Amino acid sequence: MTRDSVIAQTQSYFDSGLFETEIGHLVSIKSQSQIKEGLPECLLYLTDAMVPAFEKMGFSTKIYKNPVDGGGPVLLATRIEDPNLQTVLGYGHGDVVLGFDQSWTKGDGPWKTSRDGDRLYGRGTADNKGQHLINMSALGAVISTRGKLGFNSKFIIETGEENGSRGLREIIESDLEAFSADVFIASDGPRVRHDWPTVSLGARGGLNFDLTCTLREGGHHSGNWGGALPDPAIILANAISCIVNKTGQIQIKEWLPPAITSATKELLKDIKLDGGPSGPIPVDMWGDPDLSSAENVFAWNSFTVLAMSSGNPEKPVNAISPTAKAHCQLRYIFGTDINNVLPSLRLHLDANGFDNISILEPPEENRGGFMASRTEPSNIWSFVVRESIKQTTGIQPAVIPQMGGSICNDLFTDLLGLPAIWIPHSYSGCSQHAPDEHILLPLCRNALGIMGGLYWDIGEEKNEK
Amino acid sequence: MLWELWEDFIGISVKKKMKNRGKNLTSAINLSLGEFDDLEKYFSKLEKLVLFPTESQKPTRLPVLKDYLIQGIGPLFEELGYNLEILENPINGCGPVLLATRDEGAALTVLGYGHGDVILGQEGLWEKGRNPWKLEIDGKRVYGRGTADNKGQHLTHLTALKSVLKVRGSLGFNHRFVIEMGEENGSKGFRQLVQEKKEKFSADVFFASDGPRSEINKPNITLGNRGVLNFDLLCSLRKGGHHSGNWGGLLANPAIILANAISTIVDRNGRILVDGISIKKIPKTIKVALQNISRDGGKYAPEIDPEWGPKNRSIIEKVTASNSFEVLAILSGNPESPVNSVPPEARAACQLRFVVGTNLNEIIPILRSHLDLHGFNNITIEEPASSNRISFEASRTSPDNPFAEWMQSVISKACNSPCSVLPNSAGSNMTEVVQYDLKIPIVWLPLSYTGCSQHAPNEHILIPLHREGLAIVTEVYWKLGDETEGFKPNITKPKITT
Repeated sequence: MTRDSVIAQTQSYFDSGLFETEIGHLVSIKSQSQIKEGLPECLLYLTDAMVPAFEKMGFSTKIYKNPVDGGGPVLLATRIEDPNLQTVLGYGHGDVVLGFDQSWTKGDGPWKTSRDGDRLYGRGTADNKGQHLINMSALGAVISTRGKLGFNSKFIIETGEENGSRGLREIIESDLEAFSADVFIASDGPRVRHDWPTVSLGARGGLNFDLTCTLREGGHHSGNWGGALPDPAIILANAISCIVNKTGQIQIKEWLPPAITSATKELLKDIKLDGGPSGPIPVDMWGDPDLSSAENVFAWNSFTVLAMSSGNPEKPVNAISPTAKAHCQLRYIFGTDINNVLPSLRLHLDANGFDNISILEPPEENRGGFMASRTEPSNIWSFVVRESIKQTTGIQPAVIPQMGGSICNDLFTDLLGLPAIWIPHSYSGCSQHAPDEHILLPLCRNALGIMGGLYWDIGEEKNEK
Repeated sequence: MLWELWEDFIGISVKKKMKNRGKNLTSAINLSLGEFDDLEKYFSKLEKLVLFPTESQKPTRLPVLKDYLIQGIGPLFEELGYNLEILENPINGCGPVLLATRDEGAALTVLGYGHGDVILGQEGLWEKGRNPWKLEIDGKRVYGRGTADNKGQHLTHLTALKSVLKVRGSLGFNHRFVIEMGEENGSKGFRQLVQEKKEKFSADVFFASDGPRSEINKPNITLGNRGVLNFDLLCSLRKGGHHSGNWGGLLANPAIILANAISTIVDRNGRILVDGISIKKIPKTIKVALQNISRDGGKYAPEIDPEWGPKNRSIIEKVTASNSFEVLAILSGNPESPVNSVPPEARAACQLRFVVGTNLNEIIPILRSHLDLHGFNNITIEEPASSNRISFEASRTSPDNPFAEWMQSVISKACNSPCSVLPNSAGSNMTEVVQYDLKIPIVWLPLSYTGCSQHAPNEHILIPLHREGLAIVTEVYWKLGDETEGFKPNITKPKITT
């Protein structure tokens, strides 16, 4: 009945192979939230996998139907041990991005986990099935070791995160009391380095939009018209180049956040991004040259062209295409004037002669739309978590003001008013959102210990309100 | 007489014209028109040619390409006393070439040309459920794949030649007529064939028909073509996508790099920014030739933006006397269902159309050093998709070349109105082989119009325009072989200006 024994239990859970078996079951459910066919699978993920797992741990469960058409259902699992104890709200998402079944080069495709050395491949292993499984298993280890958690636990599993968490706000608003808590602790995204436990205090926001240049219907033979007929792909390329230069620096000053504070610079000063041995290597000069790579990702805004098309790229013909489209994204940090992003883009395009470029709603399956949010580094819970991780691992965790990715963190910070602490269990080379998604098994084992220790500590403390 | 029919379109009085012609020429023209005016009979001949689905872009059609030569067009040449030779294409899988030769021991040898292959039929996309391989007369239009490009046009030449032979008993010149079967597939192997058998193709002048007139109501001759080079620009930075949340801001984005690279090659108004692949100044002779020509696309023409393309140039100067850069297609990430990840690569299928003054084999080196100079060594220049691999040198016979001038004067007389001279067309084809390998002056007399839906569903010809074309071509062939008025290659030694 010690801290060590709960950690030991998480380790033997992992070593017995049970973790791999359980994650394999979760991955086999094709809960793709960006397509209609995935919606029943999203519900199945909750009813067949999550509800039994939480009920086994003595949680009561409730599934909320999503009020937004096409939005996935949301599970709230609740275990109240004593109203006088602290309540910790957890979170995970059971939905995944598209499988890209044909594009996997490793393992057995997206829907069957496959181990290769330290890696376990499968869609959702990293984002986010593996991560909430780790936290749930750690909760289970504390309950079985101590006989109770020693705190109240609420756990949200949503199934629409990859589709912009649509409807989650309305669901929480409709039942605020049920979702209320004292602190939010959850896991998603990557560590700054695979072997460096990381605490993230917020999330960048994500605003997706389309830029299109549609000039006419149908293509026209370049042998008759080339030189006289505006080419939308050329216009769009020029428009993009006036938004962001060839090294990724944003050219619209209204899009930039306030200068990075010295406290943030201090937090980030030792952090270098490392995607692991087969992660991408950012060899090129990219982003703001005055900022470090960690500052560019964790404390600055970035513009990405996610996809672009014009003409018939599969089989190009000698015709001037009628339309060109770029699917774009601004990732932005807390403090950015987000309501001014699209208006200032319009003005910028107009001022540069691009009134033939339209700014359109992004496709439904990839709307993005997360707000930026952040918990201050000085918050007491950030110290509690950092100390606990240090005690378990012997390593001072890296602390980042916000993770590069975007998530519905603002619902927890702003709507529920909670300090929100993220403890990511993946690493940036995990090919999340792409074929060959995987987790690192040693990292999962380490994370299980961290979470076991943390939940133990929270229940151990004299945590009465 | 059905002259009224075409006057609707063309607006030129032919009857007045006819008076100024010799008796024999008038007979030859009347013979041609008589043949044409029995529309059913005339177009049943064209229908026989259209029936061959000679789609050269489809490898499975290779046998049909030969059938067209042996069963379709070959017999029509034999009827006129031409010797036929079918030359296999040196490139495997590409269509053969017919060389029809009629040697009269004359001083002048004329090289003619047509292509029997067509682009894809695009079955199912035609209006009124039309079958591309069936000829259909609807009012003044005759629909069918190849009616305009190019079966209808070389049939016109054959009909005119037949009339001249009938009236005169001979052509008055030696004739070599090439029917190529791979024009729509980039004329692969044509240059090699000509180089290998140069003496078989050699002639004094080139006269043929293809493509559309620049303006529907005015004939023009075209003395060359723009060159073309297709290539891909590729920015491939890594394998696989990476989450834009984790990496956005840190990982170079190939779509952004490619967009920036394109913006250094061509600006938002389509103006080429690279020295060496743009035409800074249009030569005076070309400007003069173009001054009264406009680009009339007819009813289905796209709207033109005067701001697009090189500054202070007319539309016709932009498309025939300037270089133009196109991004034919572009792809990065997964546009059908985009996800939040930094794509691994971005590719643009690009095209440069260029005129004499830009050399085909200098384009890639110039672009390479331009990209390097601007810091885009992460962009590679690649071969385009094999289905759209095309490259031709630009060609142009000078408008003051004696043969060009002779043709202009003959056609102007034939129409009783000035024939325009287009130094080169906006499109690209095998003309460069004639210019650089055979080194003879080139005159194309296009018989279609830009609204003919060539290369699209609903390809058609206009009956009145076609009829007028037949009359003109008959007159040209007549005069080419005329003892007194004919073109004399030995006296008026053709020269080529490039």
